[in-house]
Amino acid sequence: MEKPVATLDRGTTCSAWNYCSERLAAGSVDGSLSILDSRDPSSSSFTRSSKFKAHEAGIVKVAWIPPEYGDAVACICEDGSLSIWEELVEGTQPLQWKLCKSFKTSSKVLDVQFGVNQTSLRMVAAYSDGGVKVFELIDPLELKNWQLQAEFQNVIDSVSTLGKASCLTACISWNPQRGEGQESSFILGFNSNTPQLNSPKVWEFDAAHQKWLPVAELASPGDKGDQVYSVAWAPNIGRPYELIAVASQKGIAIWHVGSTPDLDGRLSVEKVALLPGHNSEVWQMEWDMSGMTLATTGGDGLVRLWQSNLKGTWHEQAALQPTAS
Amino acid sequence: MPGVSSDTSGGALAPFSPESHGAAVYPLHHGLKSPISRLSISWSRGNSLRVSVFAAPSNHSVNEEAGGKVVEVKLGSGDGEISDSHWRRIAYDSVSPFALLQSRKNAASSFSKMSMNSSPYDVDWSEYILEYSKDINALLGNQKSVPAPFIDDPKSVIKKGEEPTSLKAAWELLEIFYAEKPFQSWLPERLVDWLTGYDSLFSGTHPTVHSKLVDFQKGLVNLQVVEDDPRYWEVISSALAVGWLDIVVKLLRLHGSYRLDQLSNRETENGLVEAVAVLISKMPRMRLEQEDGILGESFKAKPDFVKAWEKWRAHINKLDSSAFWFQCAHQQTREGLRSMLQIMLGNADSLCTATCHWVELYISHLLYIRPFTVGLESMYNLAQKCIQLKPMACADRLMQLIIGILGENTEVVLAECSKGFGPWMVTHAIELLTAGSDHAEMLLHEEHKNLGGISIEELYRLVYAQVLSSHPLTWQIASIYLASCMKQGMVLLQILLSKQPVQHNQLLLKNIEICRLYELDSITSNIMKIAGVYHWKHGRKGSGVFWLQQARDEYRLNRIAQQLFDSVGKTISDESFKQWEGLIQLLGSESKTAGGLEFLHKYRDFKKSLQQIHDGKTTDDARQAVESLISLMKNPSTPQRFWLPLLYDSLKLLNWQDRPLFNVSQTNLLLNKLQELSMARLRPGFIEPDLPPHALNSVRLALATNLGRAILEE
Repeated sequence: MEKPVATLDRGTTCSAWNYCSERLAAGSVDGSLSILDSRDPSSSSFTRSSKFKAHEAGIVKVAWIPPEYGDAVACICEDGSLSIWEELVEGTQPLQWKLCKSFKTSSKVLDVQFGVNQTSLRMVAAYSDGGVKVFELIDPLELKNWQLQAEFQNVIDSVSTLGKASCLTACISWNPQRGEGQESSFILGFNSNTPQLNSPKVWEFDAAHQKWLPVAELASPGDKGDQVYSVAWAPNIGRPYELIAVASQKGIAIWHVGSTPDLDGRLSVEKVALLPGHNSEVWQMEWDMSGMTLATTGGDGLVRLWQSNLKGTWHEQAALQPTAS
Repeated sequence: MPGVSSDTSGGALAPFSPESHGAAVYPLHHGLKSPISRLSISWSRGNSLRVSVFAAPSNHSVNEEAGGKVVEVKLGSGDGEISDSHWRRIAYDSVSPFALLQSRKNAASSFSKMSMNSSPYDVDWSEYILEYSKDINALLGNQKSVPAPFIDDPKSVIKKGEEPTSLKAAWELLEIFYAEKPFQSWLPERLVDWLTGYDSLFSGTHPTVHSKLVDFQKGLVNLQVVEDDPRYWEVISSALAVGWLDIVVKLLRLHGSYRLDQLSNRETENGLVEAVAVLISKMPRMRLEQEDGILGESFKAKPDFVKAWEKWRAHINKLDSSAFWFQCAHQQTREGLRSMLQIMLGNADSLCTATCHWVELYISHLLYIRPFTVGLESMYNLAQKCIQLKPMACADRLMQLIIGILGENTEVVLAECSKGFGPWMVTHAIELLTAGSDHAEMLLHEEHKNLGGISIEELYRLVYAQVLSSHPLTWQIASIYLASCMKQGMVLLQILLSKQPVQHNQLLLKNIEICRLYELDSITSNIMKIAGVYHWKHGRKGSGVFWLQQARDEYRLNRIAQQLFDSVGKTISDESFKQWEGLIQLLGSESKTAGGLEFLHKYRDFKKSLQQIHDGKTTDDARQAVESLISLMKNPSTPQRFWLPLLYDSLKLLNWQDRPLFNVSQTNLLLNKLQELSMARLRPGFIEPDLPPHALNSVRLALATNLGRAILEE
């Protein structure tokens, strides 16, 4: 059933595939980044094509930039620094990976994700102090110049004063849909000591006021302070509602989010399932390209696959248990 | 299989109860010896999932072992029976029958809309369905469902043909029950043929008549006197019970009484054997046509068949009560032949003893007890009775499918198809299930809110398309299935197309071709944009510009034009000018696509003439340069921030020694532009060009001087 496709170096801690699953970026504990490629498009064996030192500290997360903007990855390191590396030819130099941008931050970057709309590339970064920043790329052909477009906290009601927040992890997932005239939106949750920050909120850009607004909160009244491990926004191939998975200490919740806002500008939400998850932390959740199957990994060391049956009931369809032999 | 989970109990739509339904845990072999610290997952195209397995950091730095592995898992695909490459061939071959049927459906539905006809399923339609079914059946292999024929070797009873597959067996079942519907008087005989071809498939899990025959044949060469061996009579009865008449007669003719040296003293015995053999070969059969090598008398019309059957039964009864049996000295022969008569007379106990599993028993019932059965009337009860008598040793996918079909429960049939044979089967079988059955059609075409507003038919097609999407050799045909999905297929197709790599030109062109076929213009331009950026950034500037132009991405082209300008604009004697010139040429070839490019094209002409002035200094060249400058300054697409650099570059022209090159109105135009520029400088956000501080004053002075000289001249 399974087929090995690549071997990773010692010390590899994270990896990410690009948009077409033809390139793998792998970050290492020593701060080096490896890029693996296949020799031809029909082959599914990937070998290292470049390796470079991205940072002094170990890399904890890599994310590819959407392909409309080149072959580039963002790296988050253990010390919370964020940098963008790009593969390109400059002048007469050969093709190589170059540092395009290093973001100066006072607090640690926990997660970063890119969203594309008709004309721009946006990057959302979540910080250990509970802050959220949205950057916008100024020149579509240069990944050097980013403009801070917005800065806010992951709270519905900005009036309430928060204590000093300390966040362990954060998770961001953009709405993968990029239809014409659709405003960008993403969901963001924290795993922190500040309950107000934790619950995942859907943020949508209000073009008229050039402002990001929280349009939905995906937590039941009693669960709002729950620490959130992971969020995943499903591709929508024609459902009248959006589908978002949220993993917290209580399990994996599947939410339906309506598409038309009410008078207050809020979207209707409904929790349609609470799945047992991994009986511990959830590391990662990924929807397949149809949005029908959710794959998750977590502290029990298994990959679990979740689906809805014909009645709309969500259940675990299968699990994969890694074994050495 | 992703997307669909089905359960057959209760006949409801795939009910799910968590208590009874633990998810299956599959091992994921990664080959790392060290303990695992973490996993990372990523969906590739379709149903393929890539799992990165990271080893825990170990203290033994000498350890040469890898620090992680990435394994790819294709979910819900793979079948031990059929190899991957065979599956791909099936997938490819089934495209054209499927597409043909869809186009006929579309034509029929638009026709019925026009003529307000109630149902598109008329006589023609069932022919189309049958044609479709036969086409699919043919591509599943050449397995002929004809009973083992006589061949030269008299001791070879069972013929070894191409290995039958369960997939083909299942398809033929569906064909018998759904595509051939009008001919259901032939059902028992169709099932006999089916069993002839596929009984061996049950041998893995159940004892079968087929395996009995195979075993017997193995020992046959060592048998001197077959009729003394009880197994001989046993296999003959078994073969008779399931209607394999040819094999029965062939076996009977091995009887010792046929030997010349024995014929005289075993005359009666031989007469009885031959009488039974003749009766068997005269058995009336309700068959479409008399085929070569098929024993028995075929009838197409039921009344004739009924008459012949009664007559034939009378002959058997007569033989059964004949006095000759007392004269038959050979006990085994006597008993063996008489038990064969019991089978032909429809003795339920004899049939039960002779058959091995319930499907065989079921078919023997249809042949000898209920030969006049039409359609599926009470067939399910009969099947249940047979299962009670011969319980299933384990759940066999073909047996489950038969039960589902006989139970006339579309959901169960679908669930069994899905569970036993995978998404290819379901997607293609739905066409048969819906043919002519309003109930099934309603069930499969009804839109379900739970499924996000799609029908079960569409859901299964999407699932199958996902399987196709996951392989580089089959993703292209996924588009045909996706395009047949009314609701969600096109968006999934768009996602699939957006996930194809662009760096290989051949793939890129294929991708664009599919986009064009389905008129997915925005996807086309996005793919071209990605290709353009990829080539531009990877040093193939020409290809980059080409694809960006194809994508009509003015936004990026303007940026490129700007970059070029910055680079060529620095100085005219720069070596890099030559380097960029070709690119500007390329950009200029379709200068209408973007204002920036049009500007750049003109700018190139301007720079060229300026350079010629530097080299040759002729007044004609200078005049040309003036024309270029004026046209540049007049053009609204020339960015304001380039006005001053352009004028500064033109100082030489403005201060031309021989005579003023600009006339009064031209000079006024330039002065106005300069004035406009001064106003613009007061506004916030104005970008100061990278020029010496005295540039503006030099230009102003030169313009004023030129104006004076021009006025004088005029």
